[in-house]
Amino acid sequence: MRALVIDDSRAMRRIVGSILEGFGYQTRPAGHGREALDVLEESWIPDLACIDWNMPVMDGLQFVSAVRANPAWRQVTLMMVTTESEHGQIVRALAAGAHEYVIKPFTADAIADKLALLGLLPQGVPA
Amino acid sequence: MSTPIATLLDDETVSAVAAEVWSALVGADEVLVPGRGPVAEGRSAWVGVEGPWSGLVVLTCSTTATDDLTRAVLQLAPTEELEADDVDDVLRELANILGGNVKSLLPGPSTLGLPQTGTPPHPGSDVRPVGATWRGHPLTITVQGATEAPAQHPTTEVTS
Repeated sequence: MRALVIDDSRAMRRIVGSILEGFGYQTRPAGHGREALDVLEESWIPDLACIDWNMPVMDGLQFVSAVRANPAWRQVTLMMVTTESEHGQIVRALAAGAHEYVIKPFTADAIADKLALLGLLPQGVPA
Repeated sequence: MSTPIATLLDDETVSAVAAEVWSALVGADEVLVPGRGPVAEGRSAWVGVEGPWSGLVVLTCSTTATDDLTRAVLQLAPTEELEADDVDDVLRELANILGGNVKSLLPGPSTLGLPQTGTPPHPGSDVRPVGATWRGHPLTITVQGATEAPAQHPTTEVTS
């Protein structure tokens, strides 16, 4: 399976990417939403996108809206991974089309639990 | 003027938030001990909060501490050379997550800015510095209310 890891922090991209690769994912990083759209436009369509909220150039919410506006990318599961923890923000992200929401800081187990809920945890990986 | 930070947050709450962030990001066995500080000289990263309470959450560590933090977060071997960009990036992300979690304890709704590094804006009188120690290194988490004049960030770098 493929995952796109979108975060303006290189450290966070490495951490999330490493967790997902441990679950068997092939990952690609992007530093902001626009860069992530460029990856999708290359026809590298992931099963999962992990998306930070606050980023320069194009933030996570704008990215979610852009993905949802394109029927060709309908199968991409969108999971926010962000420090934004206010209820109103979570509702906004879900209303825009995000499927799940993980609040930083997180553990690998928390990511596994969310992937299991989404049916995106490969077989053999304990949830 | 918003409610003073001293009436919204106590030291124990800030320390608990920091301990949770450390455990998740730096390492499950990494203990952040409350107390000690302030850091006389070091590197700072901060993030702004805008809302009913507006201000900054600033993380300041000694240079040695930031190097060790970077190795811990990125799981680098002691022999691996550190890149300055990685050091700043790790410090910014720690400040970002600390700021987001502190924000969640303050009156909302509010928004979080992009984290920055450099010399943080000088705090006014509305300030709560919380000292801690990690692996013997002192560090300070400062929650400071916005000063009357809009903060300028002349030496800052935004996460890229």
